[in-house]
Amino acid sequence: MLFKHRWSLLVISFFLLLGVMLAACGNEDSSEPQDNPSETEDEGKEDETKEEEASGPISGGTLTGAMYSAPAGMFNPIFYEEAYEANILSFTHESLVGQNESLEFIPGLAKDWETNEDQTELTMYLEEGVKWHDGEEFTADDVVFTYKSIADPNYVEAGGIRTAYVQPLLGYEAFVNGETDEFQGVEAIDEYTVKFKFAEPNINPLYYASFTIIPEHVFADIPVAEMPEADESRQPGSVIGTGPFKFTEMIEREQYVLERHEDYWQGAAYLDKIVWKVVAQSVMSGLLESGEIDFVADPNGIQPADFEMVQGLGNIKIIEQPDFGYQIMGFKHNHRTADDVDAGTINPDNWVPNEKLADPKIRQAIAYAINRDGLIEGLLYGRGATLNSPIAKQFWAYDESETTNYTYDVDKAASILDDLGYVDTNDDGFREDPDGNEWVLNFDYPTGNELREKSAPLIEQMLEEVGINVNLRQPKEMSAYVEDLTNDNSDWDLYLIGWSLGSADPDPTGLWGTMAAYNFSRWNNPDSEELMQQALKAPDAFEQEYRKEVYKEWQKIFSEDLPAVILYAQNSLWAYNDRLQGVEPLPFTMYNDPHLWWVTDAE
Amino acid sequence: MYKYIIRRILVFIPMMIILSMIIFGLAKAAPGDPFTGRILDPTVNPEVFEQQREALGLNDPIPIQYVNWASRIISGDFGESMYYKGRSVASLIWERMPNTLYLGLFALFITLIVAIPIGIYSARNPYSMFDYGATTFGFFGLAVPNFFFGLIAIYLFAIKLGWFPSQGTITGTEITGLNEFFDRLHHMVLPGITLGLAGTASYMRYMRSEVLDVLSSDYIRTAKAKGMSDRNVLYKHTLRNAMIPIITLMGFEFGALLSGAIITEQVFSYPGLGTLFINSITNRDYPIIMAIALLLGVTILIGNLLADIFYSIVDPRIRYD
Repeated sequence: MLFKHRWSLLVISFFLLLGVMLAACGNEDSSEPQDNPSETEDEGKEDETKEEEASGPISGGTLTGAMYSAPAGMFNPIFYEEAYEANILSFTHESLVGQNESLEFIPGLAKDWETNEDQTELTMYLEEGVKWHDGEEFTADDVVFTYKSIADPNYVEAGGIRTAYVQPLLGYEAFVNGETDEFQGVEAIDEYTVKFKFAEPNINPLYYASFTIIPEHVFADIPVAEMPEADESRQPGSVIGTGPFKFTEMIEREQYVLERHEDYWQGAAYLDKIVWKVVAQSVMSGLLESGEIDFVADPNGIQPADFEMVQGLGNIKIIEQPDFGYQIMGFKHNHRTADDVDAGTINPDNWVPNEKLADPKIRQAIAYAINRDGLIEGLLYGRGATLNSPIAKQFWAYDESETTNYTYDVDKAASILDDLGYVDTNDDGFREDPDGNEWVLNFDYPTGNELREKSAPLIEQMLEEVGINVNLRQPKEMSAYVEDLTNDNSDWDLYLIGWSLGSADPDPTGLWGTMAAYNFSRWNNPDSEELMQQALKAPDAFEQEYRKEVYKEWQKIFSEDLPAVILYAQNSLWAYNDRLQGVEPLPFTMYNDPHLWWVTDAE
Repeated sequence: MYKYIIRRILVFIPMMIILSMIIFGLAKAAPGDPFTGRILDPTVNPEVFEQQREALGLNDPIPIQYVNWASRIISGDFGESMYYKGRSVASLIWERMPNTLYLGLFALFITLIVAIPIGIYSARNPYSMFDYGATTFGFFGLAVPNFFFGLIAIYLFAIKLGWFPSQGTITGTEITGLNEFFDRLHHMVLPGITLGLAGTASYMRYMRSEVLDVLSSDYIRTAKAKGMSDRNVLYKHTLRNAMIPIITLMGFEFGALLSGAIITEQVFSYPGLGTLFINSITNRDYPIIMAIALLLGVTILIGNLLADIFYSIVDPRIRYD
């Protein structure tokens, strides 16, 4: 009998190993929550043909939406992180301002606003008579409370990550460090007027005022540190917002039921209920066909490969429009030193230039060698577009008039490399560097996004076509990959990553600023740096035209110095059953005014 | 007997300690941490994550982290999830466990009621058409991957024929009482069959070869020579002996069901421990990984113990002291 003990241990380790292996190869959705929506970008051709039904909107009916991963269960706007919770919160909670199709800020819970001369103060005038789901009135105190909670000294430790919204506000430092109990940044003037005060002139104050508001009367007695575990942050019925739907029931990780909020300030919604179901991506098109699911949108929508098929179903409308994200192949311009990596410091003075890619002409040659249109055709079935600068096309700031646009040109790539002296001297089929040494570029990529995974070997082939010796390495799972990308005292040269960006402001500093942690290329170009700062400098930058000019210049520099090749921007493909009417998608969401949605077969 | 059980349970303790150290080491050795995978939002300052790491103690040396974790476990506290903010590990596992347990038991039930009769019948009529058919099915069942069979089942029985629901554990919140029971059962059919398929195939093969083996042994011939009826030979002598290896298999089966459930649960969006486990690995949610791994370890050990105890019931030759 003794042998069985040893066996048990072996068996246990086997199953664990199996689990780990399965984890490594499966599960595309949760490995990169923030990155997922990078499925998109391009000319929006609204598949919307709004047939006005003769009958007009009727009240009633239930709508069923789908998402591929269950929300983590955090339904408090100041603590949630993922698009899955956002799906529910966009129906239940609201902000002071929203955005329209041109990405201008439009009134939401605030009906009007004004800024002072130097844009250090923003006064918001709130809608009156707005009722929370529990019948209490929405007032300026709720706004103050929301921002005060995010600025709270315990907010980050409790798991909050949205500090970017409060950082520029007056007195944030003092408040978060606990030096004072008074938060000066947001102040209630009277019941329906609230004033945001910034420490410095702010070029986009409405962005900071656009955070989703939570009810003070519900959370007043709950310290910020305990908010995440409170029922008010997670349980249906206890989660209170001002939105057109209330979160009333859930079967955790399966179904989330939203019911109409009768006292909604813009008039009660037509739909009785919206039910969110969690379904596997592999069966999505079947469920759309059978009518079990009425719509699917963020963060993944339907797959480009399924587009034709879903369109052929006949009962489904597809909204195809560019998203705000893109996929890049980055060039490691510099590496950090081991000491800096250990200390976690970003100090450009210590950076070690990557000799293999030092000459911008090399990077340009590589860019010419990549058939980006081919990738879009082959991988995205044409459901995407090339982008020539790292700013989403929907933004006023996108301008490719002066950028170098790298259209696929093998000969040009080859002749640039020839001119630089990168030629094949030992007849191994690959180019050597001008000194005759081996020239091998290491190429790394993450798993998690199937299309991106497929693009890596294709790009390797394209580069080898022009004689560049590429060492394509085993892909890594996202958590591991990002760690290696960050701790970059390594031999990395080329890397793939995707970004999904917000629709609020085109400022690229967060990704491409020299000191930015996400500047994984360790791009250090003083001209670029200066332009990015110039574009944010008050008072000139109050004028959008001025910023547009500066960004035009910056995009030119980006395209010449090439910290990265922007491979493609995928289109979002959102689908819904044609029984649903009244959908008016915005560039960044399908959930625009859902209180006006209605279904043709309501009873 | 009792002494034996107590001794076995005492042996569990050092095994669990070693097991937990290995898992903890492995989990920590995997590159990345709960924050590396989600820092891809340029509006979020990475310093925020650094502060949270510090607060969670992720920057402490690994032995210290282990001791902290282990001492909490001993006091019965499995800690808080790092990904599901503000949720305790115990509550998350507690919430998912019933789903996986029901699904596993259901799959095991299907496995046994299908595999054992077929196995016996095949063995009694070897090389018949039925036997060949069963063998073919057996190899098919072993060869077809879980997820593939699941997808085919969904396509055929849920989408095309509409007989069974394809996703989740229940239709909606409005269903209660006895209806809820049947609704849940209805939802379990496809994932249960999918999960049980490989097991069914292998049990069937085992059963067939064991019965065949026993049937050709001397004591069966003796029993038959005594004039015992076929029925009695089968139930009194053959089955009891043929069941022994099957019971060993079942001891391991719990672990196998759980690892199979990881995939099956994904395909059917069935929220159980498998999904929780796999998500926790991708999210590097260490407290949950550790808790489920320990749970799995305990389950397998207990499964083994139970198998040993059943041995002595089925096979009178085996006595523990």
